Amino acid sequence: MKNTLRQVFHSSKFVGGFVIFVAILLTLIIYPLINPGNPLQQIGVGTFAKPGTYVSLYDATKAPTETLRLPDAGDKRLASSLTEEDKVAMVEWFTAVEADISDLDTNDTDKMLEMWEQYYDPSVKPKGMIRAKINYFKRLDAALQELKSGDTIIIAEEGEDGALVESKKILDTDYVNTKSVANVKSLPLGTDNFGRDVLKELVSATGTSIRIGLIAGIVATLIGLTLGLLAGYVGGFLDDFIMFITNIFTVIPGFVLLILISYSIGQEQRGAAVVAVVIGFTSWTWTCRSVRSQVISLRNRDHVNLSKLSGHSLLRIVLTDILPYIASYVVMAFILQVSSGILSEAQLSLLGLGPKTTEVPTLGLMMNWAMLYSAHTNGSWWAYFPVILTITLISFSLNLMNTGLDQVFNPTLRD
Amino acid sequence: MGKVMLEVKNLKTKYITRFHEDVYAVDGVSFAIEEGKSLGIAGESGCGKSTLALSMMGYYFPPLHYMSGDIIIDGQNISGMDPDAVRKSILGTEIAYIPQAAMNALNPTQRIIRFIEDVVRAHDPKKSKAEIREMAEARFAELGLPADALMKHAVELSGGMKQRTVIAVSTILNPKVLIADEPSSALDVTSQKMVIKMMRELMEKGYIKSMLFITHELPLLYNVTDDIMVMYAGQIVEKGTAQQMVFDPVHPYSHGLMKSILVPEEGTRGHKLTAIPGAPPNLKRPPDGCRFAARCKYATADCRYTAIPEKTFDEGRMYRCLMGVDKLKEVYGEDE
Amino acid sequence: MKGYRKYFGKKLLWFVITFIVAVILNFVLPRLMPADPVASITGRLAGGNSDASAVAEIYERYQKEFGTDKPMIEQFILFCKNAIHGNFGLSFSQYPRSVSNIIASAIGWTIALQFPAIIVGWLLGNILGALAAYIRKGYDKVLLPIALFLGNVPAFGMAVIMLVVFGVYLKIAPLSGGYAFDMIPHLSWDFIKSVISHYQLPFWSIVIISIGGQAVGMRSMSIYELNADYVKYSRFLGIKDRKIVGYVFRNAMLPQVTGLAMSIGTMIGGALVAEIIFSYPGLGSTMYSAVTAADYPLISATTLIITVMVLVVTFLLDIIYGFIDPRVKAAQFE
Repeated sequence: MKNTLRQVFHSSKFVGGFVIFVAILLTLIIYPLINPGNPLQQIGVGTFAKPGTYVSLYDATKAPTETLRLPDAGDKRLASSLTEEDKVAMVEWFTAVEADISDLDTNDTDKMLEMWEQYYDPSVKPKGMIRAKINYFKRLDAALQELKSGDTIIIAEEGEDGALVESKKILDTDYVNTKSVANVKSLPLGTDNFGRDVLKELVSATGTSIRIGLIAGIVATLIGLTLGLLAGYVGGFLDDFIMFITNIFTVIPGFVLLILISYSIGQEQRGAAVVAVVIGFTSWTWTCRSVRSQVISLRNRDHVNLSKLSGHSLLRIVLTDILPYIASYVVMAFILQVSSGILSEAQLSLLGLGPKTTEVPTLGLMMNWAMLYSAHTNGSWWAYFPVILTITLISFSLNLMNTGLDQVFNPTLRD
Repeated sequence: MGKVMLEVKNLKTKYITRFHEDVYAVDGVSFAIEEGKSLGIAGESGCGKSTLALSMMGYYFPPLHYMSGDIIIDGQNISGMDPDAVRKSILGTEIAYIPQAAMNALNPTQRIIRFIEDVVRAHDPKKSKAEIREMAEARFAELGLPADALMKHAVELSGGMKQRTVIAVSTILNPKVLIADEPSSALDVTSQKMVIKMMRELMEKGYIKSMLFITHELPLLYNVTDDIMVMYAGQIVEKGTAQQMVFDPVHPYSHGLMKSILVPEEGTRGHKLTAIPGAPPNLKRPPDGCRFAARCKYATADCRYTAIPEKTFDEGRMYRCLMGVDKLKEVYGEDE
Repeated sequence: MKGYRKYFGKKLLWFVITFIVAVILNFVLPRLMPADPVASITGRLAGGNSDASAVAEIYERYQKEFGTDKPMIEQFILFCKNAIHGNFGLSFSQYPRSVSNIIASAIGWTIALQFPAIIVGWLLGNILGALAAYIRKGYDKVLLPIALFLGNVPAFGMAVIMLVVFGVYLKIAPLSGGYAFDMIPHLSWDFIKSVISHYQLPFWSIVIISIGGQAVGMRSMSIYELNADYVKYSRFLGIKDRKIVGYVFRNAMLPQVTGLAMSIGTMIGGALVAEIIFSYPGLGSTMYSAVTAADYPLISATTLIITVMVLVVTFLLDIIYGFIDPRVKAAQFE
């Protein structure tokens, strides 16, 4: 046993998968400690706030200011408010005045502005340009200049007589230390369509999905193992009967059964655990098949025959003389079942047949929400990409462990 | 003395494991087979006899590696030859091989005749299908194999038929040396007899000139081959005629081996059966002295640390032991 | 040939039995619900539906045609009778279209999309897996983990990524649908062009996800075959390595036909979900809209059709496999 474990941990594939999986599990345990709270709480009012750190504007205006004179502040300000449309217009002007734009990169805002300074001249009237367009460029230039100069923002409060009284001026050189702002919220993955913290939701969903996978894997492995052992060891009519059922359920797509059963159960009854059990119930067939064939090859080994002759009970023979020999196989099958269980949940949820949406998030539900609110077409990558990545990582790590085990236990694949 | 067909001189090969350790599986083996003669190799499993068979083909692929020594077939030294030249002009035509697990030696999804075509054309691309077919049919008829077996897939043949087909295919190009690695071990008694009969026929009809027969069943060797060598831990420990080796073994290992087997002959019923205790040494680090010393009940301290040379006695007999022949016979006598 | 007929007969018998069980399951499972599914759904629908009278009418008609108030056995016979005539009732959500009409317009899209994609993915996967097994060195260290990683991207994930990369950012393929939304299906060059451009993304995403699993399977199969005794034996008879590699790949490839038959159910599951991502007008999207609209007759019919498709494909693959692999012939036909 100890030796086998050592061998297993010598396999680089197994170790790789194991490390990834343990890292995911550790994140699941540690992250809620750092950032506690209900993952389904809606903190944002709008949909899909971008990832980043959010500073309370309200608190920031009240925080003590420092004056910093940073040379590139104006340009940065400009760059961040320069729209794609503006850039296209600028390029249009450059072309009109025949400036060299062969190696102009529109993402290089500094360069763009520099060229604008150089080439824009309100007195020039490019040939063939209509007046409206020329006026448009004048407005664009004015807007750019204004952005660059940095107008003062005045904060006013309502006075006693109802008139606005200036209470504070904010200059373009005023800075606030984020530490003195009472409310700063970091949202590394932004918010989702309901305004929920995606990272917090993702961690919680990953936990639920892994639990679903585990339950589905346990159910499928238990059913498959029991039936496989019975069919393989007892043989005869029981074997025929079990194989009959197994053959039928191998051909009928499990996915379709899953849809039918999930649909029949109805939205209200579908908790995460129920979905997990249903997934387990529709995916045991191949575990059963492979356990059976392994048991058949063991059935007539000497040590099993010896136990039989010694009058040991069926249960004892199965537990002591057969199970230990197929244990590695069952573990591998279990790992694959867990991974396919997680995937099944995700697919079901995408069809709208996942666990009910009010209790816990799952990876599939997150994906489903992101798709329903078109996160993929409106550029909100943080709502779906981390979910895909997490599912892939979990199933990759599990499969990698499985490949590693396979190489240890099936030496023909070695080299 | 006839013409020497196969001569092996101080052949050394090794396995390199996936942990990059060297296993010296064939460690300085020398012998020769004359035209028309057959030689048997006996030994426990893991003694290197199958590796010796593979090493003699002159065609190495990992994990087996050639180290040193010569393999001379009918005067032509094939060790050190370019592998592709060996493949083209030696394998199948000069030296042929019958594998240990002949059950799976044929590609299951190919018809036998297609495989024969591939074999023949690998050496003579110009041969037409009709010619090959004619040739194969003639050979099958000659060896008493049904012609319809040619059109079958390997999976459709019975175990014995498969084995005989493999032998016929291996010798289709009339190789000078045939190496058979346990060709009959996995078969039932009837099929076994047919296989042996077929191999004798091949020799008698001159399709093969000499044969090396490897098995762990000594009684079989006594019936099939002219000479017998006993191999232990990568080395030959004793060599002699079949008669001498079975009834008058000299080396303690051969002696023990003979006593541990049942020869169904008159007089053997009463014999005491003994097994040799212990296990062969680890060939990653072979011992300096006698390799059998750890299991030999006559071993002295000298045996463990002195390199043992090959000694010859009588006529053409060889053994590898520190003790003299007379002394050995004396201790065997005391044991009885 | 007699042996083959027996093999065929056995497989056919299995097909029929499985088919019957599938139909029974399809019928029974939804009816295991405590309440009459149709009644409860219609009730719920009528509550929020402005056209409550229409729903009531569909329900009545459904009840009449399928006898939902009669005993189970009678219902089942009615269900089978109707199914044979292609009658699955009227759709709740797309009234007054009939379910068979909706399915008839979707099934062609699914077949045209999924079967070529799965076959191309299977072929590419096998070629890559075989190459991987043959090259071994380097591949195992670097490429295998990458291939495994890509193979573990779920079908819908691959679909979304392809959609975002090629549709949203690179804008070289349309985002959704089977053809441009302003077109009416008809036989013209423009329409065909539109269909082909809409075909690309769903097609390639299904191909890519099918490659992963097949390649890994083919790799282990090829390694197993490369270690087979006949490889060593053929080498010792002087046959060229290239020829032997040919033997190996043929032998490794043939069982992959069964591998395909075994996994086609799972693959279609993933591919159906990929259809939803692209709003491809096939059975996957039909199923999705049926589920979201709680359109019971449509769900029931879609699952049945998908099951039948998988059964037929599996059956055909089994038959083909029996024909082309002599190993099965020897084991089954005597």
